[in-house]
Amino acid sequence: MTFRAKLFFVFTLALLVSVGVIVAGVTINTRRAFDTLNAEHTNALLAQFQREFDRRKVEVVNRVHGVAEDQGTVTMAMNLARPGADVSVYVNDAREVAQAHQLDFLDFLGDDGSIISSYEWPARFGYKLAWVTQPQDWSSVGAFLTKVDTQDGPAIGLLSVTPIRVGDKNLYVVGGERLDKQFLSELVLPEGMRALLYLNLDSQFQAGDLVDVNGPVTQPDPFTATISDELARPTERSFTIPYTIEAGAAERFHALPLQGRDGELLGVLLVGNSQRDLVAIERHIAMLGAAVAGGGLLLGLLLSWWAAARVTRPVKKLADGAQRVSHGDLGSRVEVRGPAEMMQLANSFNRMTDQLNEQRERLVQAERVAAWRELARRLAHELKNPLFPLQTTVQNMQRAKEIDPSQFEEVFRESTGILLSEIDNLKKIISRFSDFARMPQPELAAVNLNDLARSTTKLFESQFSAVGRPPITSELHLNADLPAVQADSTLLRKALENLVLNAMDAMPAGGVLMLRTTAQDGGVHLEVSDTGTGLTPEECDRLFTPYYTTKQHGTGLGLAIVQSVVSDHGGRISVESEHGVGTSFHIFLPMKPPPRPPDHAPANGDGA
Amino acid sequence: MSRRLAASSAIIAALAILAIPARPARRPHYGGTLRVEIGSTVNSLDPARAAANPADATVEREIESLIYEKQNADGSLAGVAGSGPFRISEWEPGKRLTLAANDDFPGGRPFVDSIEIDMGRSAHDRLVDLGLGRTDFSEIPAEDARQASGLGVRVSATQPDELIAIAFLPGHSAADDVRLREAVADSINRAAIVDFILQKEGEAAGGLLPQWSSGTAFLFPTTPDTVHAKELRSQIAGSSEIRLGYDSGDALEESIAERIAVDAHEAGITVATDAIAPGANAGRNDARLVRARMSSAKPGEALTSILSALDRAAGIDVAPLRNLDSAEQIYAAGRGALDGFHLVPVVWVPQVYGLSDRVRDWETPAAGESWPLADVWLDPGAATKN
Repeated sequence: MTFRAKLFFVFTLALLVSVGVIVAGVTINTRRAFDTLNAEHTNALLAQFQREFDRRKVEVVNRVHGVAEDQGTVTMAMNLARPGADVSVYVNDAREVAQAHQLDFLDFLGDDGSIISSYEWPARFGYKLAWVTQPQDWSSVGAFLTKVDTQDGPAIGLLSVTPIRVGDKNLYVVGGERLDKQFLSELVLPEGMRALLYLNLDSQFQAGDLVDVNGPVTQPDPFTATISDELARPTERSFTIPYTIEAGAAERFHALPLQGRDGELLGVLLVGNSQRDLVAIERHIAMLGAAVAGGGLLLGLLLSWWAAARVTRPVKKLADGAQRVSHGDLGSRVEVRGPAEMMQLANSFNRMTDQLNEQRERLVQAERVAAWRELARRLAHELKNPLFPLQTTVQNMQRAKEIDPSQFEEVFRESTGILLSEIDNLKKIISRFSDFARMPQPELAAVNLNDLARSTTKLFESQFSAVGRPPITSELHLNADLPAVQADSTLLRKALENLVLNAMDAMPAGGVLMLRTTAQDGGVHLEVSDTGTGLTPEECDRLFTPYYTTKQHGTGLGLAIVQSVVSDHGGRISVESEHGVGTSFHIFLPMKPPPRPPDHAPANGDGA
Repeated sequence: MSRRLAASSAIIAALAILAIPARPARRPHYGGTLRVEIGSTVNSLDPARAAANPADATVEREIESLIYEKQNADGSLAGVAGSGPFRISEWEPGKRLTLAANDDFPGGRPFVDSIEIDMGRSAHDRLVDLGLGRTDFSEIPAEDARQASGLGVRVSATQPDELIAIAFLPGHSAADDVRLREAVADSINRAAIVDFILQKEGEAAGGLLPQWSSGTAFLFPTTPDTVHAKELRSQIAGSSEIRLGYDSGDALEESIAERIAVDAHEAGITVATDAIAPGANAGRNDARLVRARMSSAKPGEALTSILSALDRAAGIDVAPLRNLDSAEQIYAAGRGALDGFHLVPVVWVPQVYGLSDRVRDWETPAAGESWPLADVWLDPGAATKN
């Protein structure tokens, strides 16, 4: 992956994360805002319910007071205060009075709490409502919730008690309103909200006791668990009923327990808020957010691409420059416009290439000096050996002429023979150096390396099994489909002979010489391996240096000549060696050598 | 007291005062038309039906007694229409019946020339008409007697001769357990029913004969025993509900049924009341309220007639009564009929009549006797209000 791609990926990732965080933040804040709004709506409704409830209490108290102040009721109280009063004549009075005062419940109770007349349960006369006669300042109690037994079963009512005292006896007027769907229908609710009322009339949850403004709720099952919990632990709580998998169908409820005078749970008011509008707005915001995020993302991608390109352009220039340098173009320079850091980097790069150039020049100079010194050392070493016998022989001839002229002739003959022999050695030495200096330009023709390998091996077969030396076995692993390459067969043969000679020198105790040819992509591969003593890593590093040798009497030019030939063919040579196992030389030759630069002068003895 | 009626009572009372004659007639007067209002509608008059059901005291039978001569020893009607003290003059079935005095009646010509009977009048309308003097004779529901008196109406009540009882219907599993039936019987506050619903016009019923007839009614308990009822209820597993039916057109039965439900509720028994339309089958009810009127003041005959009426009304199968010669035998028979609590007497109700001030020589009929309209005369000196 390129630096630009990575940078683009990082920018994009950062952008995605940023957009995601923003969208999440907006969503969360929106939801919180709606939750707050929801809670405010619910609280407002609860407050409204509380106000309505308080108003109803006052109204109930006033109505019951109105009944107590009714002339008929006062007359009843006065008559009942008389000794031996007959209460039975009033048994049907409650009905008409309740209807006249718009009360759902009305009871006239005697001094002992016995029902004289009951509207909600006319047949209940004679029974006592003991709680009414308990010491209590009913005027300060006001209206309160309580369970009321009626002819149709228990109900929840908002009741008030007003005693009428005549003499030493009381007539209690107990009246009130029923808490039912009618009560709910009179609550003014905002759109999307509704109120439900659960009447706690049984020991456990009964679906029929959950009503809304239309009567029993049509889908009571979702409320079962929550209301059951509420009955067990009365407290204000909020909960959501999903109804379906569609989020908009959900409804959030707030449960308000309705308790009686003694804290008993008589009912639960449920204020519901439809989530449809909320979900619609949330979806709208989410879609808007997605559109903005998508647009921002697209814009961000373009900007990221542009920024990555802008940032990486000087880096790419630097990379290209570095690549050119790596290919040997030390004169390469990088021109960068951009941030100061990048310009500083480019300047540093340019300075570095300048320094490399200078160092290379110095190195070349140093190598030249070293080469000359090595050449001088080697020449001195090679020439010193024949010069010493030459000097001795000449001195012998001088001494022989002065001391015994009669034997001078014989000494002269022997000495001239020695001189000629040593002069011949000097010629050979000079000839080898001359050959290295005069490496010719390859004359290209189609060459089959397999043939070359076979002929070369055949040439040395007699030496492999020469008398007096341990035998060397040759192995040829030649690729039959090896293509011919454009090369100079004479030079290649010379290089191969040097490698074979080098291998023979490495195997003084005999061994195996193996030649292998293989076809490689764009060229051929030749491997020459021996099972000799091997080389150290340091020796491998310097092996192709001219005049470097690991042998006692080598000139150090054999492998240098091999490298020169391979190089002149546009190929490569490398060495692998393991001490005690052997050494392998690998030569790769292209199918055709690349054209040589016109100014590339052939190496010769006068070359630097 | 109903405030609506109470409000008009003052007016009615004032009118009644104005209608009182300054000096009542001392000698019977012939002539005049006796105005009668009844609540039911009479569509046919058939003495054969009355003969088949001698204890079936209906308004039809009362009217038939005016136009048929009594010839049978058992008091059943016989002869032809018009053989009685009156004959039919005009007849609009279900609406109006006019009877004219039968000058040839062997027992003597009635004092009044005619009787006009208006049918289908509600209890409230009859009461108002009585109060305003628009009618001379009408039945008054026992529970309204006190109110009628308060309105200044002249009220005549018989001895309590009509029994209202609970009959547990055979074959209904909800009432199969005798403990449940006994618990219901124990829970009923009969005194409250008499005092509040009947406005003290009646008598708590523990047996099948009233105290005034048998003299042994006090031996049958009428006070509620809620503790015992609860104890019995606790012995019964499950939550059996009893459906108690009553005549949908009978306000008194409805009130009594509701009260029985309240009392049973206090004992832990669920009693659901159910109005039964006339002629409808009470099949889904476990019990129903039934009325049975005494056909005679004689306890033996009365007991027989009562049981016969209950049998017809509710299918209560009672063994034929024999040897009802002594009070002990009658008591034993009555006690035996109540064994098992299939029959639970509740209250005795009297027959209450309202009369105008110009009706003279009215004698309240005894149990089994018919309306003595042939024996009354109208005082012309009494002011009529219409």
